[in-house]
Amino acid sequence: MMRDVVGRSGTLLPIDLSTVQHPFEMSTATGAVPAESSLARRSGKFLTFFLAGEEYGLEILKVHEILGMLPITRIPRAPDFILGVINLRGKVIPIMDLRTRFLMPPSETAEPCIIVTQIQRVQIGIVVDQVSEVCNIAAGEVEDTPNFGADVHTEFLLGLAKQGGRVKLLLDIDRILDMKELASASEAAA
Amino acid sequence: MTSAEQSLPDLLRGVRAELDAATPGDTATLARPRAKLAWIASMLPTQRGEARRLLDLAAEAASAIGTTLEGEQEHQRCLNAVRAAVGAAIEHLAAPEDLGGELLLIQAGQQLLRALGRDHQEWMRGMSRGDVTPHDTASEIIEGQPVPPLTLDDAAALLLMVEPSERAEMERIRHALEALTEDEREVPLVRTLAGDAVASIRRVLDDVSAAEDLVTDLAEVAQFVNLAVRARDDAAEWMSAGPQLAIPIGAVEGGFVPALRAPATAHQGVADALPEGDRELIADFVVECREYLESAEAALLKLEANPTDIEAINTVFRAFHTVKGTSGFLGLDVITTFAHEAESLFSRVRDGELPFAGRIPDLALRAADVVKALVETVDKALHGTPMTRPGTYDTVLEELARVAAGDMSTGAEAADGIAATPTAEAEEGPARPRLVQAPEQWRGEERRDQNSDSSIRVRTDRLDRLIDMVSELVIAHTMIAQDESVPQVGHHGLGRKVSHAGKIVRELHDLSLSMRMVPLKPTFQKMTRLVRDVAHNVGKEVEFITEGDETEIDRNMVDALSDPLVHMVRNAVDHGIETPDERIAAGKPRHGSVRLSAKHSGGSVLVELRDDGRGLDKDRIVVKAIEKGLIESAAKLADAEIFNLIFAPGFSTATQVTALSGRGVGMDVVRRNIESLRGLVTISSVPGEGTLFTLRLPLTLAVTDGMLVQVGPERYVIPTTSIHMSFRPERSALSTIAGCGEMVRLRDEVMPMFRLHKLFSVVGAQEDPCAALVVVVSIGSQRVALLVDALLGQQQVVAKSLGEGIGKIEGVSGGAILGDGRVGLILDVAELLVMLRRREAGPNQLRSVA
Repeated sequence: MMRDVVGRSGTLLPIDLSTVQHPFEMSTATGAVPAESSLARRSGKFLTFFLAGEEYGLEILKVHEILGMLPITRIPRAPDFILGVINLRGKVIPIMDLRTRFLMPPSETAEPCIIVTQIQRVQIGIVVDQVSEVCNIAAGEVEDTPNFGADVHTEFLLGLAKQGGRVKLLLDIDRILDMKELASASEAAA
Repeated sequence: MTSAEQSLPDLLRGVRAELDAATPGDTATLARPRAKLAWIASMLPTQRGEARRLLDLAAEAASAIGTTLEGEQEHQRCLNAVRAAVGAAIEHLAAPEDLGGELLLIQAGQQLLRALGRDHQEWMRGMSRGDVTPHDTASEIIEGQPVPPLTLDDAAALLLMVEPSERAEMERIRHALEALTEDEREVPLVRTLAGDAVASIRRVLDDVSAAEDLVTDLAEVAQFVNLAVRARDDAAEWMSAGPQLAIPIGAVEGGFVPALRAPATAHQGVADALPEGDRELIADFVVECREYLESAEAALLKLEANPTDIEAINTVFRAFHTVKGTSGFLGLDVITTFAHEAESLFSRVRDGELPFAGRIPDLALRAADVVKALVETVDKALHGTPMTRPGTYDTVLEELARVAAGDMSTGAEAADGIAATPTAEAEEGPARPRLVQAPEQWRGEERRDQNSDSSIRVRTDRLDRLIDMVSELVIAHTMIAQDESVPQVGHHGLGRKVSHAGKIVRELHDLSLSMRMVPLKPTFQKMTRLVRDVAHNVGKEVEFITEGDETEIDRNMVDALSDPLVHMVRNAVDHGIETPDERIAAGKPRHGSVRLSAKHSGGSVLVELRDDGRGLDKDRIVVKAIEKGLIESAAKLADAEIFNLIFAPGFSTATQVTALSGRGVGMDVVRRNIESLRGLVTISSVPGEGTLFTLRLPLTLAVTDGMLVQVGPERYVIPTTSIHMSFRPERSALSTIAGCGEMVRLRDEVMPMFRLHKLFSVVGAQEDPCAALVVVVSIGSQRVALLVDALLGQQQVVAKSLGEGIGKIEGVSGGAILGDGRVGLILDVAELLVMLRRREAGPNQLRSVA
């Protein structure tokens, strides 16, 4: 289900800020109603990074470490957004390309880096264009993701944070790395 | 009683030990016990006011030594008084309601006061309860007049303090226990246990035991008594729990057997639930029991060969004894009851009352099995499964009791008659080391002994992580060593330092890998038991010899190796070895021999199983194989290839039905298991002389022998065990089927060829097979050729999972960190073949056997 959505959808973003309104209505088609827990997760410290010119935020508690680019071993017959695996000090961990995951064009930046996320015991690295900063986001600064209809899918977002005139897109990393979705994506690729 | 209060006597015993070690001249040695005394006193509840006052006074007296008191004699006297006070407090606290204990308190208090140079009447004046007339009663005890009989609790408390030399006290305990055994009102189990205690205490009193055994025997008495206390308390609990759980004391007939079983049966529902207790303790108990039972089993087998081996008898006894003790402590009554029976049986064997012969060896082994099974259910219960009793529980328990009860009618004489078994004693005497007499010291020493040969349990994931890190260190170090700046002129010193570090790193690496290794001994021991049982069942006489059981192998391999070994050993005895008559007819010794050996050989472990039986019947195998369509004719087959046919799935059952001499049962399972361990199994056999199975296993599962192959820009690892050979094909050796399926011919065999780069969509690989290499891989009897660019060399790699964040990747079993720190993927050849076959999806082009 989710994979279909990702597979056929257009660009996830960017969002034209002038059109941003705050309808609390959520898209029922995607069922992207933020759960109680994700609402609670919308404030605190976030690591922000850039991806195709957009600034995203990732809960700092889920970040294990940030690495420079490492040699990646491709895994045959894996979904295309899985770039492969790296050797993280003796541990083999998979690497996901967030641009591919969001159906963005491949990066042209010279220095992409890897953010190693850790959710429970599972470590996955995500490749982003550039790491920006760690910032504090208060609950009051966060708004729900507006509904863009069927074309723009926002189920990977916890919400939008407006800070210093910039909009930061808070990622729901759990959903991006959801194992079930990964598995179904692998099936689709195989 | 609260648990804190229960622990107080123990604390006091610790204090007493410290006091015993203290010297009056050295006040420093008194500081600790003094502080503890004051602390314990403060812990005592108000209803123990007398004990509290006594301990406070004792603490005061202890501090007086060397300060207000002067003179060596005074010091000694005071210290003695303190010691007596602590002893009295222990006794009183252990049995607070007992008048005797209370009187001791008073005496001790007065003694303390006198030692402090104060008026001893002061104690009485300070007493809260004036109505007691302690003076008279106290003098009664002092003058040695008849004392009230001890209760079970008193006996238990007294036992903790009594020394073997204190005969009067011992007699008192004995009387109390004897009275207890005859007390109709008591629970049968309590009475039985009291009887056991009496038997042990008699040994002490009658000077039957050698001096060094006194302590052990005394400890045994104490244990019986404690068990009895427990049993009584439990019984009281069941009684109060309701009439349906009441113990049918009245219904007991025939005394011993039903008496012992009654509580367990009546209590079934309750007893079989895992008791509330520290789960960690129970988990430790399980591990500990397994070890004890393993050693017991080994000793039992040793005993069969040499029934008078005192050391082995003691080992078995100790095992059951410890299991009983610990399970009793943890409240695992089902086990306690059973282990108790097994122990009593062995205590009689040990005492020479029963010879280790007849039914006993078998019974003992079965008893060990039951306890083992019980322990396993406890383990399972820890993980939530309800506890069950093994089906043989009741029958074996009954049999144990029957054997023990066989001469229970003459119980008293038997117990007394121990002295009349000089042989046992004579043998026992020199075999045992001389030990110190004081129980506390002795126990301390035993504990220290255990520590010196001790190990700690480490979680395997931590160990794995450590090994990972060390492997990384090796790679990191290689990178430094290969850095171009290291060998530069002028950096001579640096090069030396780097190579020195390298040596350390390598040693560390070896060490870390060796930490996962365990000896094969327990596995081999299991086989010993198996051979015995199988030979027994099929009426054969087999001598089982093991060699090299100290050979070490990866912990994970041990379990996986056990199954195939069981199959092979069972087959060797069941089918390989002939019956005694057949052997004699063939001019062989009556006894067949099965030899299991292990050794290290070239980075792997060789396990050999050799029997001197009838050997494999080649002709029958060939006939059978042709019948099954496995082969067309045996013309071109070497012996080894013919023997290998017995590994074909389905081959075995058929041969068994026709009772062919071949060892059929589950040989395909054997090979599958061994291959899953990346091992190799080969057979050689000479008709009439026997068969030899050779297993070649890697030292560890974690390390794979792999061939690194290049495919375009990528590298893959193929496990060496699945590689048959590799070659560069001639153009003429290539052919296609229906224009798509590619085939390659290797000598006379034509096999399908698959391009790895196509399968894995690798860009930039060598497309021309004649410029590339073909690697022939096989799983079982299936062979396919894989096209790769080049072989990069053989390498030992540590297999790792690709991480939980990614699902299973078909055809890849895991990743390995290569020498340059990058990840290489390890191919799963079996899975690869499945994939390929599915891809073919057309008419079967493989020469398939399955």
